[in-house]
Amino acid sequence: MQTPVAARERRFAIYLFLPAFLVLLVTTTVPLIYLAWTSVNRVDLTSPWIKGFAGADNYSKMLGDPRFWNSLELTVIYTGTTVVLQMLIGLGLALLVLQIPRGQGILRVAAIIPIVLAPVVVGLFWRTLVLAPDFGVLDFVMRALGFGSHDWLGDPNLALASVIVIHTWQWTPFAFLVILASLSSLPPDIFEAARIDRASSVQRFWYITLPLIRPALVIVVIMRMMVALSAFAAIFAATGGGPGSATEILNLYTYRTSFTELNFGYGAALAMVLLAVTLLVSYSMFRLRTAR
Amino acid sequence: MSNGRVSLKKIVKRHGAFTALHGIDLDIEPGEFFALLGPSGSGKTTTLRIVAGLEEASEGRVFLDSTDITNTEPGDRDVAMVFQSYALYPHMNVRQNIAFPMRMVGMPKGEIDAAVQDAAKKVHIEHLLDRKPGQLSGGQQQRCALARAIVRKPRLFLLDEPLSNLDAKLRLETRGELKKLQRSLGVTTIYVTHDQEEAMTIADRMAVFMDGQIVQVGSPKFVFDNPATADVANFIGSPPMNLIPASYADGRIRIGAHELQTSCRVGGERNVIAGIRPSSVRIGPSGIPARIDLIENLGDALLLDLSLDQMTIRARTGTEVTSREGESVFFSADPTAVHLFDAVTRVRIND
Repeated sequence: MQTPVAARERRFAIYLFLPAFLVLLVTTTVPLIYLAWTSVNRVDLTSPWIKGFAGADNYSKMLGDPRFWNSLELTVIYTGTTVVLQMLIGLGLALLVLQIPRGQGILRVAAIIPIVLAPVVVGLFWRTLVLAPDFGVLDFVMRALGFGSHDWLGDPNLALASVIVIHTWQWTPFAFLVILASLSSLPPDIFEAARIDRASSVQRFWYITLPLIRPALVIVVIMRMMVALSAFAAIFAATGGGPGSATEILNLYTYRTSFTELNFGYGAALAMVLLAVTLLVSYSMFRLRTAR
Repeated sequence: MSNGRVSLKKIVKRHGAFTALHGIDLDIEPGEFFALLGPSGSGKTTTLRIVAGLEEASEGRVFLDSTDITNTEPGDRDVAMVFQSYALYPHMNVRQNIAFPMRMVGMPKGEIDAAVQDAAKKVHIEHLLDRKPGQLSGGQQQRCALARAIVRKPRLFLLDEPLSNLDAKLRLETRGELKKLQRSLGVTTIYVTHDQEEAMTIADRMAVFMDGQIVQVGSPKFVFDNPATADVANFIGSPPMNLIPASYADGRIRIGAHELQTSCRVGGERNVIAGIRPSSVRIGPSGIPARIDLIENLGDALLLDLSLDQMTIRARTGTEVTSREGESVFFSADPTAVHLFDAVTRVRIND
């Protein structure tokens, strides 16, 4: 039996919990259910007279859709490359900055700037100022070095690399900041003990530093993967998924299907696949995190 | 087996404009249990870290068995250290922690296992080998750190306040065990502590640090009986020695209007600081009159606060003293128990 005090506490807890719960319900759960429902229906505004329940039709259509497989492949490449680049560059920068006795504060503040920019601004900024042929900063440098002018975002062979660079530029500071914070919280006496215990600097990094910052690394990988999987605005602003489908990752394909081609049913099914991929990746990463 | 003689020659350590060590000279004999004792900020830990190689001396040289190790990496010095915080590797279990110094030099696994077992047995933590440091009590962590140090059979042990994070009872037990362990291993040990009682009980010899200098080196008993300065006298012994301004003339001192005989044979007149240990203060029918301000009963002894001309003199007496707080008594001291220090230089006068 509950005591009156416990009952009152419980009621109070429910009052606190309820608003957030309702907001979440309305903004995430309900749309999600609606999305799932749409994905098993035929909703195509270009041929509105064909509609109704479609079962798994939208999903089976994907299997034979080369554009879907292309976008899935691009998503894997995009996510994998950006996350690996961010981790390597972020860790390297953090280790370097840790050696700087003064001025770490300025670097930390500078590192925040790309993060706080809206991705769409980043995409436009790179498209117009850095990567534009003839006028862009990069082209200027390449021409000065004698490599000639390139259409960084318009050339199908360069566009994917370009958007990967843009994403890495924007988000590496995040990895850098988290890893730097994690590194600077490590107790110095453990490294002194390791020095006395005859560990070389490579051994200290491998046996002490890496295992100790592992939790931070895994969290950063998880968060970077989720953001890379849901990347949209920067690519949309820089290339729009083009040229052709050279940078059309699953997100952009979903968007184009739903809102350019107005095939909501198929678009919803694509979104569900993206959701499944994201959930699967995060789940396995969290498993990795708790694994000993 | 190498022996482990340590020599410091004119070690100076500067941090910018601040000088932490003003030219330390020290010789530590093989197999000795040597304490570096001093208040915090006196330079004892800096000295230990310079011997370990964790800090560089600004000037001077460090020798280990006549090899100049001043510029040698810590790992190449053949020294092991126990940190005040223990500095165990939190992501490794006890076994891996103890094995770490040997794994780093690529010792075969069989040898490592045997050595880990042996070291763990010596400090009685064989049953904890699979635990992580976070699952150990403070005392067990301390033993784990000790095992990690002894496992590699170094030429020199460096202990940086290893007992300061233990509770009082455990500290007493561990102190004794540490001493026995050091005896059985026979490895030269340098032990940093700010606790004079710890240094007194554990060390063969000790160096007393004050303000970045060594003011006295000797056996604990010698330093206790013959403190080189008034500050050493004040630092060593608990409760600390009474230091009373007095004037000296031919073997006798004058405290206010009262006289006390000393065993000092130095001639002439001068201002001095008279030092009398609380345990040497005798309460009796004659001597210098004082009032009892406070009595603290320790069970087997009494601590008296005596007031004399606005000064407080502490006395440690047997429980047979029956005087009460507020009463007047007479105190005196054996002539040989009066230490004399120069009033200006604070250096010892009598021998």
